[in-house]
Amino acid sequence: MQPEWVLSCHELSFRWAEAPALSNISLDLQQGERLGVIGPNGAGKSTLLKLLAGLYPATQGEVLLCGQPIRYFNLRARARQLALLSQETEQPQAMTVTELMLLGLLPHKKLWQQNSKSDLIKLQQCLAQVGLTGKQQQQLTDLSGGELQRAQLGRVLMQGASVLLLDEPTNHLDIQFQHQLLQLISSLKLSLVASFHDLNLAASYCDRLLLLSNGVPVAIGTPAQVLTEPLISRVFGRPCLVDNNPFDGKPRLTFAPGVC
Amino acid sequence: MAKSFLTGRWLLLLLLTLLSLIFCLNTGAVTLQWQALWSCLNADCQQPAQWQLLWQLRLPRLLLGFVAGAGLALCGALLQHLSRNPLADPYLFGVIAGAGLGATLATLYLPASVIALPLAAFIGALLAIALVLAFALLGRWQQLDLFILSGVAVSFLFSAITALLLYQHDPFAANRVMFWLMGSLSRASYQPLWFILPCLLLCLMLACLFRRQLDAMLWSDQTAISLGVPVQPLRLLFLLLTAALTASIVAYCGGIGFIGLMVPHLVRLLLGSQALTLFIGSSLCGGIFLIWVDAGARTLLPNQELPLGVITSACGSLFFLLLLSRRRG
Repeated sequence: MQPEWVLSCHELSFRWAEAPALSNISLDLQQGERLGVIGPNGAGKSTLLKLLAGLYPATQGEVLLCGQPIRYFNLRARARQLALLSQETEQPQAMTVTELMLLGLLPHKKLWQQNSKSDLIKLQQCLAQVGLTGKQQQQLTDLSGGELQRAQLGRVLMQGASVLLLDEPTNHLDIQFQHQLLQLISSLKLSLVASFHDLNLAASYCDRLLLLSNGVPVAIGTPAQVLTEPLISRVFGRPCLVDNNPFDGKPRLTFAPGVC
Repeated sequence: MAKSFLTGRWLLLLLLTLLSLIFCLNTGAVTLQWQALWSCLNADCQQPAQWQLLWQLRLPRLLLGFVAGAGLALCGALLQHLSRNPLADPYLFGVIAGAGLGATLATLYLPASVIALPLAAFIGALLAIALVLAFALLGRWQQLDLFILSGVAVSFLFSAITALLLYQHDPFAANRVMFWLMGSLSRASYQPLWFILPCLLLCLMLACLFRRQLDAMLWSDQTAISLGVPVQPLRLLFLLLTAALTASIVAYCGGIGFIGLMVPHLVRLLLGSQALTLFIGSSLCGGIFLIWVDAGARTLLPNQELPLGVITSACGSLFFLLLLSRRRG
């Protein structure tokens, strides 16, 4: 019997005007699976996440959400199934952490509906999960980069979607929170597609990795299959060594310093 | 604690609204005894002149002032929210320049009548909005910058035509148009209320209903869409609503500047910037501000009425300088 894919695409391509941005991406994501998207700057990681979120129309191929073409979903129904954390260049001038996180409830609320007591309980839980308890009334402009990123993740968690698309979720986070948040997402058994610049983090927390280069998929498979010395050295243009992380046994990469 | 603090501020604002309405109703060249005012309001006027002063002159002017101030401030708050630009203003679409051209044409070429000037100004304002929309729709209209830039271009075009017409005609006509463009409630009656009030209530009701969506739109379009917000249809809906509300206010009251820009900033400082708070707070504060400005315009100089735009612009620029100096400090 064919497994139930929560998110999949086959031969997906996208062009910016005349320039191809992504070509021939095929992937299937199972319930609870975590897929990491890695690649150098400009490889098409963010574009792929936005295509999977249905924000851009594919020029070829189709994204399927729970077996249905994503364009058949209305926006609210889609937002209940799938949440996106994109890289924001600027935040609103005046908004508190609570106000931001409550936005996550938007796809679940009717126009006239008020927030209930259970919503506020959920808010407290999410605040605790992202380590922002006690900062709920703080203005976003007064937060550090890492705290802002955690508040954004809190909003994504409040959305209650079963598929998360996270564009560089560990940006601005210190080592402790990087691991804490990825551990949290792993424990919630959510399906995840996330882009990473830190290949070792991707190796530790993702079941599979997709390596992109210039908008083309170079490899997809388990971290051990994708993170090989010749492949990574070729794509990132820098010699590297791969051994095993002594804590979890996953591949660990070390890049050569200096000019190569 | 924070909640009760906010509730206190709301109560204070409501009380201020009520007191302002009562005080401004009794402000002018003639001041009634409070007892006479109360009995007149209860349809028990001792003198017909008092009844006429209150019900035919002061009350329509007060209500029109309140509704126009509320409308301009609400439009400013909505546009600042939608464009994520704190300097957005209801006159963004070239509305004032369009209304100015309409008013100039009516003054120069149409026979004087009660309805001709507002109607021509309204048509001029709508024409300006239509041009801005058409220019923006030709390009990538999803980008709000295009709306703003098209508005600036259309404003200059209409202002140039107005200036040319006034230059070639009677200088008295130029004076009349200039006075009208600076804003006045002197033509107030109950009739414009039937026009402006439904626009205002519709705008306020929809803004309150879509409060969460509008808050989500403070983030990037992509984030808002991923939260299930139909960003482009909502933006177009609110742009059209604010344009219609501004055009209807400008048609009757002329160009009252700075309220739409200044009041939302004041409300953000006092009450916070969540959509619901901002929209209701801006409407109330805009209304209060304009009726006090009108009271000042009627009483500051003896036997003379100042244009409202002069006072609102002076207050607005002082307010912004104060805000800037506070931020630097």
